[in-house]
Amino acid sequence: MLTARIGVKLGALDLDVAIEAAAGEIVAMLGPNGAGKSTFLRAVAGLVPLHRGRVELDKIVLEDVALRVHLPPERRPIGVVFQDYLLFPHLSALENVAFGLRARGTPAREARARAKDWLDRLGLGEHAGARPRALSGGQAQRVALARALAIGPRLLLLDEPLAALDASARSEVRRDLKRHLASFAGIRIVITHDPLEAVALADRLVIVERGRVVQTGSPAEVTRQPRSRYVADLVGVNLLRGAATAGHVVLPRGASLQSAEAIDGDVFAMIHPRAVALHRVRPEGSPRNVWRGRASTLDFQGDRVRVGVEAEVPIVAEVTPAAISDLDLAEGGEVWVSVKATEISVYPA
Amino acid sequence: MTSERPPVLFAVVAAIGIAFFVLPLAGLISRTPWETALGELTTPEALTALQLSLVVSLAATALALGLGVPLAWVYARVPFPGRNVVRALTTLPMILPPVVGGVALLFAFGRRGLFGQPLDAIGIRLPFTTAGAVLAATFVAMPFLVLTVEAGLRSMDRRYEDAARTLGAGRWLVFRRVTLPLIAPSVFAGAVLCWARALGEFGATITFAGNLPGTTQTLPLAVYIALETRPEVAITLSLILLAVSLAILVTMRDRYLRAF
Repeated sequence: MLTARIGVKLGALDLDVAIEAAAGEIVAMLGPNGAGKSTFLRAVAGLVPLHRGRVELDKIVLEDVALRVHLPPERRPIGVVFQDYLLFPHLSALENVAFGLRARGTPAREARARAKDWLDRLGLGEHAGARPRALSGGQAQRVALARALAIGPRLLLLDEPLAALDASARSEVRRDLKRHLASFAGIRIVITHDPLEAVALADRLVIVERGRVVQTGSPAEVTRQPRSRYVADLVGVNLLRGAATAGHVVLPRGASLQSAEAIDGDVFAMIHPRAVALHRVRPEGSPRNVWRGRASTLDFQGDRVRVGVEAEVPIVAEVTPAAISDLDLAEGGEVWVSVKATEISVYPA
Repeated sequence: MTSERPPVLFAVVAAIGIAFFVLPLAGLISRTPWETALGELTTPEALTALQLSLVVSLAATALALGLGVPLAWVYARVPFPGRNVVRALTTLPMILPPVVGGVALLFAFGRRGLFGQPLDAIGIRLPFTTAGAVLAATFVAMPFLVLTVEAGLRSMDRRYEDAARTLGAGRWLVFRRVTLPLIAPSVFAGAVLCWARALGEFGATITFAGNLPGTTQTLPLAVYIALETRPEVAITLSLILLAVSLAILVTMRDRYLRAF
């Protein structure tokens, strides 16, 4: 069980993130670059001192600012797989993996034997003597994983474990990584800016933006009810925020939406681009939400086109290429937008 | 690379510039008594000077390594107030006239000097001893090592040290097993530069340690003295120093001295 409240001020970054993770859980911390994810990892590992907060792992207090407790990194039972892996370039793969054991007092011979076991387990036995520069990106990542696991940590931290790989190698290495992560019984926290990676590897997502947790939950929960523009963009949906009265949502700029849900207060309104209909003239009939706008962007993505519409309610619609030609739509062209009330998902902010 | 035809004036001046460096070498080599060179080298005074020079320069390099690597680490990693001033002080010998260094050493560690008197009281005498020659050589040569190692420490990727610490290594172990191997090229380059400077040291040595054959008369001093009485010995010894310098330049050129 990890309970961490991490408060760090570092230059422009003001990080204040609380996270809990149960034994056996795989958590992905997802957020844009500069959100403070790597600083969070370094702080949990003890490489950056906290300004406020506390880190407790399996009932052991690793750090507590109020109690003036700060265990140095070398005394924390935490394994770290760094971005770029940071294998020691002057040591062989085997010596890299044996490094932690030797640093913790295991005699050289035994440390090497156990390091060899780890390399074998990760399918790298024949590369034991290789220097890091002779390894491929995927192999280097497995050596880094073996090095972090060899010390028997209770918590494993991975910082952008796939970012150093070329796109062609990534999916295979991700599959391998998922398998190897599954074989480790402790807590695993994966730091990433790649939603695909987060969803593929983790049971639970923690979304961090500008040093704060904006949302946590299973990938399905986060996808169903995004709580920030960043997540909405990742999921590819429209997200608006406003004040609701009996399902009538007034947006900050004065426009409003009618939803089918009886809800009051500060809310998010999520609209899937596929639910947004475009028309050449003002539509008649049942749609409760109709407004006029200008097509600002047309983004062709194979069998569909994402149309960004500038209007009092800015929105992205997803239509077929055929619809674009029927509408005779070009960038800058005028267009009518309609959304059925039942297609707007509204939930408390 | 685009080649450019130089203006005539530049070509002429550049040629003079080259001649300025080549002519002295040519003069030295033209006067070398090749037939008897080996004989001159094996004379007792030449051998003594050669041996003493090796001992003094290597001891100075060892001393500079022992003191200089930790000093460079402090300069690179510990932002203490006045760091730039202190660094400037320890770099001063690089540009200070060596004879001034010798005088300064004399008034610090001489028998009547600031620290020489207490040292003398406990039976340690530095001036006019081999230890004094080592001290003088270290004084002028160590800054080369410190600057080179500090540059190496500053340019290394410190995240390797972080990685080592998360693996359970304390700071001393991190330094020994990660930092030092990673900056080994800088340490090696710094040590070679330092050694070369120590080997050629003249001014501070003759001022502080004197010119006693077998005790403080290193190669450069022997060359200077021999020039008066036996120029062919001076030439031969000079050639040795020249060959050593050339060898250092050639071996270090591509691998370590790109910045120079």
